[in-house]
Amino acid sequence: MSIAVRIPTPLQKLTGDQGEIQLDGEKLSEIIDGLEKEYPGIKDRLCEESGKLRRFVNIYVNEEDVRFLDGLDTPVKDGDEVSIVPAIAGGAA
Amino acid sequence: MMIPDFGEEAQYKLKESSVLVTRAGGLGGTVAFYLAAAGVGKLVVAHGGNLTRSNLNRQILMTHDWVGKPRAEKIRETLLRFNGDLALEVLAENATEGNAAHWVEGVDLVCDCPPTFEERYALNKAIVYARKPMVEAAMNSMECHLTVIVPGKTPCLSCLYPEPPSWWEPLGFPVLGAVSGAVACLAAIEAIKMLTGIGEPLAGKLLQMDTLAHEYRKFNIRRDPKCKVCGEL
Repeated sequence: MSIAVRIPTPLQKLTGDQGEIQLDGEKLSEIIDGLEKEYPGIKDRLCEESGKLRRFVNIYVNEEDVRFLDGLDTPVKDGDEVSIVPAIAGGAA
Repeated sequence: MMIPDFGEEAQYKLKESSVLVTRAGGLGGTVAFYLAAAGVGKLVVAHGGNLTRSNLNRQILMTHDWVGKPRAEKIRETLLRFNGDLALEVLAENATEGNAAHWVEGVDLVCDCPPTFEERYALNKAIVYARKPMVEAAMNSMECHLTVIVPGKTPCLSCLYPEPPSWWEPLGFPVLGAVSGAVACLAAIEAIKMLTGIGEPLAGKLLQMDTLAHEYRKFNIRRDPKCKVCGEL
């Protein structure tokens, strides 16, 4: 099994500038734990201390927002793409 | 224009339209420029402060000799030199909860282009209250986001992101002018589609652009029934 995880620009400094990571897992929480194991500190950017997803980070499995699926229990399968999309506000300073 | 579905009627619709563009730098300035080029009848452009040298890698309405002077004056000069028929109001201030509602009241559509979440959330509240559509465009480094908010029909900004990221620094994000310009052109297209009714706007979809790899994704985004801003609509 292999799931492609898309890492957004603000978090790529935690993944050695990699924009895509291949991981295994059967649900989203396992993917996040797998990320944390390889890139310590990244889970803290995605999840609150309680374990819930932070409210300024949306995670999509393929095209769908996991907040409207099963959250961290959302199942993932071989070939799926997990996209981490935090809010950004770059405009004109 | 010789574009399918974009005939005389669409051009008249643009001429009768008014758009608020908040902040007119690398993103909003380019949006304003192309809306003026397309023939939008009235633009209200808001941007406070004086031009700095570091702005010049992206703020195409500005000029080198204007460093240290108010951006608002140069915004007026550049846009009117480009399109003398434009009805233009330039506001030398940035959006706040105090002024956004009044600004939004007087226009048909908003293009949201500031660098702070405070301004974006203030405009989001104002457009939800006024039931006006907003093109929401943002960038960071080589990445861009774009969506169209239609209050009551699509998620608002607070549905999408109820809280701003703790790590966001309003003056700390890197900008390549060509990237802010690229998402600005797409934002102007969305504004023109909304104003004329042509095509399918990015309503209920978030377009994420990675210009470094040229990977573009569209995500389905949904209204949050518990949203503190638009949940009651």
